[in-house]
Amino acid sequence: MKKVLETINLNKYFYKPVKFHVLKDINLSIYSGEFAAIVGPSGSGKSTLLYALSSLDREYEGEVLFDEIDLKTLTNPKLAHLRNKSIGFIFQFHYLLADFTALDNVMLPGLKLSELNHEDLEVKAMNKLELLGIADQALKKVNQLSGGEQQRVSIARALINEPRIIFCDEPTGNLDSKNAMIVFDMLKNLTREFDQTILMVTHDDSFSSATDRQIQLFDGKIIDKL
Amino acid sequence: MNRFPILKIVITHLTGRRRQTIVAMLGVTFGITVFIFQAGVITGLQDFFIEKTINATAHIQIYQDKNRKSPPILRNVYSEDETWISVPNIKNKKTLPKLKRGLQIVEILESYPEVTGVSPGLSTQAIFKIGVTDISGIINGVDIRKENQLFDLEQDMVSGSIIRLETVNNGIILGSGLAESLATLLNDNITVISPDGIALQMKVVGILNTGLRELDESRAYSSIRNAQKLMNVTGNYITNINIKLEDVDQSGTLAREFQSRFGYTAIDWKEANEGIFSVFRIQNIVTYLVIISILLVSGFGIFNILSMMIYEKMNDIAILKSIGYTDVDIRNVFLLEALFIGFFGGLAGLMVGFVISWITSIIPTNIEGFVSSEYLSINFDPAFYLLAFIFGLVATGIAGYLPAKKASKIDPINIIRSQ
Repeated sequence: MKKVLETINLNKYFYKPVKFHVLKDINLSIYSGEFAAIVGPSGSGKSTLLYALSSLDREYEGEVLFDEIDLKTLTNPKLAHLRNKSIGFIFQFHYLLADFTALDNVMLPGLKLSELNHEDLEVKAMNKLELLGIADQALKKVNQLSGGEQQRVSIARALINEPRIIFCDEPTGNLDSKNAMIVFDMLKNLTREFDQTILMVTHDDSFSSATDRQIQLFDGKIIDKL
Repeated sequence: MNRFPILKIVITHLTGRRRQTIVAMLGVTFGITVFIFQAGVITGLQDFFIEKTINATAHIQIYQDKNRKSPPILRNVYSEDETWISVPNIKNKKTLPKLKRGLQIVEILESYPEVTGVSPGLSTQAIFKIGVTDISGIINGVDIRKENQLFDLEQDMVSGSIIRLETVNNGIILGSGLAESLATLLNDNITVISPDGIALQMKVVGILNTGLRELDESRAYSSIRNAQKLMNVTGNYITNINIKLEDVDQSGTLAREFQSRFGYTAIDWKEANEGIFSVFRIQNIVTYLVIISILLVSGFGIFNILSMMIYEKMNDIAILKSIGYTDVDIRNVFLLEALFIGFFGGLAGLMVGFVISWITSIIPTNIEGFVSSEYLSINFDPAFYLLAFIFGLVATGIAGYLPAKKASKIDPINIIRSQ
């Protein structure tokens, strides 16, 4: 299987308020088509690891290779292009543009990429919304949608440019158990049916145990690889 | 969805904070309005004055400068490098202000293709006296037909006619201000006394109002012969030649040419009115300072509003950056917001400025300054409108660029981590 992500001796420090070693000698690889979860107690550095892997945070020591390209060597415009084309994000708080409709939000990354013309992109965005079962909400402003629906809009947005990998930071953390279940099932479905690579941070064991692989993090170290 | 997501974000931001946007636009509108109005009034007045001046004074005037100091005669013997010479109380040699070969010079001047009219004449200071009132002024002895050809005096006549200067013996035409000060009416007799002490009874055959107050208050016209009588000279004695040109802008170069060719002082109208032009320059500087400070203030307004907007829209910036929008995209969002404010605020300013200028130009004001005119003449030169608009856009662009640059530097990780 092809490696999407690889880290070599990744170390990360926080300097404020005092110097603190957050991530310690992380060596891990994520393979194409994998549904992996980073798990661990709070404060173990799960989110920090995700941010470093996902190109958002580049202040670390060591290397993070994305498709064998060292993220640190990328210029800002190249990095933006990488995020646009190859990475999808789903955060705990849905991070949508509140004044825009669901459809507009889904289309935003596609418009930036501009590989498709406007009409085709709109059709594609509708397909993604359909896939996530919220096509009927497409023309509503996102602040009129429920939390679960908003999270599904952000999944659709993450999918629009068919990224190599989707990073999820506690995607179900802000939802009630029923909606959490729906969202999780949809993510799982994406990996099973569309071979989508997903790396998810969660503290919920009932979800993480259902993924292909759990990366156990404790005090900034990987303690157990399955 | 809009084909241009950036544009849509811009519009959403601006309409989301409608009140602030309008206040920022009003700042620009106000600045541009003042620009248009002030520039229109000031330059309108200046142009009006210049036009009047060009019409009422010669483009070039040739005369002999009596007041030039003659160098000490010892200089003819001792050179400056070797000898210090100090001669106190040098007095000028007595010379008559006569232009020698004056009428030949007139003929030569008339042969120039650039010259449209030449009027020789002589002028002297004089005291105008009626009863117990006396006022000093200048009397010009002219060939009234030629003078009329140059200055279109006929059009400025309030009463009487220019041609009576030829038909009436000892006729005189007074400037309106002068006539008013003397309290004379048409056909009154006045006494004119020259510096040489010669007094002449003259009959007022016309009153002239050019609109240039200084001239109207001091100037009178008579025939050449009568002026010669006052100056106690005869024949072809003239002291100055007034010249009108086809193209006013050539006056400077031609004046220099005439001066070197004929050996007499030749000044163009700009030089003759130097005092006024330096006042104009100061006026213009003040005008631009006022405009720049107003635009500066509206620039600060835009800066503030955008800074606040960026603070509020941190989340949006983090989202856009995390889904692949570049620093430049983010900068453009906020820069465009500033330019939108500048564009529409400026457009409104142009319109309000035009309307205010137009209303002002049709209200009678009857100003009596160094020019008198019934209406304020306002300059509607489109160049001002263009300049004002560009000025506004540049000011708002600069005011917007700084916060926009700051927004583009925001690192999404800081926003996402803080949630």
